[in-house]
Amino acid sequence: MSEPESAASEPTRIDPRPAGVADPATDPRPRHHVRSRLMRESLLDRDVERSTESPVFRMLPEAHVLKIGGRSILDAGREVVYPVVAALASCLERWKLILGTGGGVRTRHVFSIGIDLGLPTGVLAQLAAADALGNAHILGTLLAPYGVVAIPPEIFGHLLPLFVHSAPGVVFSSVPPYSLWEHPPGVGSIPPHRTDAGAFLLAECFGCKSLTLVKDVDGLHDADPKQDPSARFIPEIGLAELRRRRFATLPFEPVLLDLLANARLLDRFQLINGRRPKRIQAALAGEHVGTIVHRDA
Amino acid sequence: MGPGMTEPETKRDAGAAGDAGEEALLSELGQALVEGSLSDADLLARTGLPAPVHILPQANVVKIGGQSFIDRGRAAVFPLIDEIVANLGRHQMVLGTGAGTRARHAYSVGLDLGMPTGVLSVLGTFVSMQNARMISYLLAKHGIPFIEPAQFAQLPLYLAERGAVIFFGMPPYIYWQQNPRIGSGRIPPHRTDTGAYLVSEVLGTRSMIYVKDVEGLYTADPKKDKHARFIPRATVAELAAMDLQDVVVERAVLEFMANARIRRSIQIVNGLVPGNLTRALDGEPVGTVITAD
Repeated sequence: MSEPESAASEPTRIDPRPAGVADPATDPRPRHHVRSRLMRESLLDRDVERSTESPVFRMLPEAHVLKIGGRSILDAGREVVYPVVAALASCLERWKLILGTGGGVRTRHVFSIGIDLGLPTGVLAQLAAADALGNAHILGTLLAPYGVVAIPPEIFGHLLPLFVHSAPGVVFSSVPPYSLWEHPPGVGSIPPHRTDAGAFLLAECFGCKSLTLVKDVDGLHDADPKQDPSARFIPEIGLAELRRRRFATLPFEPVLLDLLANARLLDRFQLINGRRPKRIQAALAGEHVGTIVHRDA
Repeated sequence: MGPGMTEPETKRDAGAAGDAGEEALLSELGQALVEGSLSDADLLARTGLPAPVHILPQANVVKIGGQSFIDRGRAAVFPLIDEIVANLGRHQMVLGTGAGTRARHAYSVGLDLGMPTGVLSVLGTFVSMQNARMISYLLAKHGIPFIEPAQFAQLPLYLAERGAVIFFGMPPYIYWQQNPRIGSGRIPPHRTDTGAYLVSEVLGTRSMIYVKDVEGLYTADPKKDKHARFIPRATVAELAAMDLQDVVVERAVLEFMANARIRRSIQIVNGLVPGNLTRALDGEPVGTVITAD
């Protein structure tokens, strides 16, 4: 805390004094405050906001978060998924893994039906959670022989430290719990916080060691390599340059740029190609085997 | 091959995505969504039509302030409860609660101990839940329930049957709450004003009313600055241009309003003045009205 106040160390007590301009003697309906350094303050005042900038405790500093793509990996069938599972299994011997799953093609389909029916963004976000959860159960099934468990979203956050310490890895639906409370996007109606964002926010809040997005491209290119064979690979890029170059598409959710810019603990993430499964282990070992997107210094 | 993995007897086409074939997807847009990139601006623009349905167009979302209202206790809360009861049958009300002074205490303790913003969000949720429970007991004899996010599927029934329902204002982001911008501190930026607002947007309600202890928006905090001027009506763009040090609703609400499909205005009223909530529910421009357009 930047400015510890003596009041903060005093025993908590109810302060019956009214706030602000009202005369304490005549205000019949005073606010009753609990003494704290934010007591009576508007939490919307910019100076008050600024004063709360402070160091952050890391809850799970040894755990690695990986987001396993839905359409790119889990929908791609046995030839792609089994080698990824084998690679993840070999990593479990060295590292604690928190594995988020994407929703894949079923999420895209439910979006298209929902949009056609006129359902708003928050409803689309609520619907999307089911597909990623299904994929979490698929991945959890395949990793069950290694003691990895798929955790229901209702208890996942609260019990995560327990699971990380008692199992070699956990699987979760990477959809963040925004549901009906999803933010309205600037353009169109697709929920902006999908499974990449869910993995990012989790890794940031729990202070995890790394975030790796496992998809079906080698990383970021200056064009979509599936459409344009001359697309050039970009091994590493900072946020400012990424925003400046305004690529037509990105191989991850654009909202990650904002989340990374505001992150206090994570300073980068790496996007790797899960169709080259050996890169998963390399990425966790800290090697540069895809595109690293980093915060600007 | 790991344990449990066997070779399939026959190779099948694994690619479901491109397999439109004889049973084409609903629409060209559907096909594009299944195959395309959701970061493609052209594709995203096409997902804006048709316009979203208004799920509960008769309902009003009313947020009852925490520090500004509930923390004042009986003297402030009981008259408002009476006014809510008087409006049962006249207006459908989805009542959200703020957090208030205990959240400030929890945030202070949590920040000192290094809690991440996502954990602070959990703490704030608990306080707004306490306030929702207290309000719900005061309205219980009218059959009005308190629902948590998982029970929102029942909200339309409760609203049709009893005319009102209570929820906690915090959006259920918990550990997934986003950080404020660097330099803007670490208190969750999306709190109860935002949570209530997003309910009004997604449900397509007819209004979003904030019940606070000030008349509305001022040029400065009227509790601290006697020269603060009252602003009865403003647009989001005008507010951005004024670059106020302090605002009466969370800044995220103003940001989201600019992107909203349905809920493009909000109203702030002084609930300490009897009749103000009723006037707002009746559609009168009492207090401050902020619009996106």
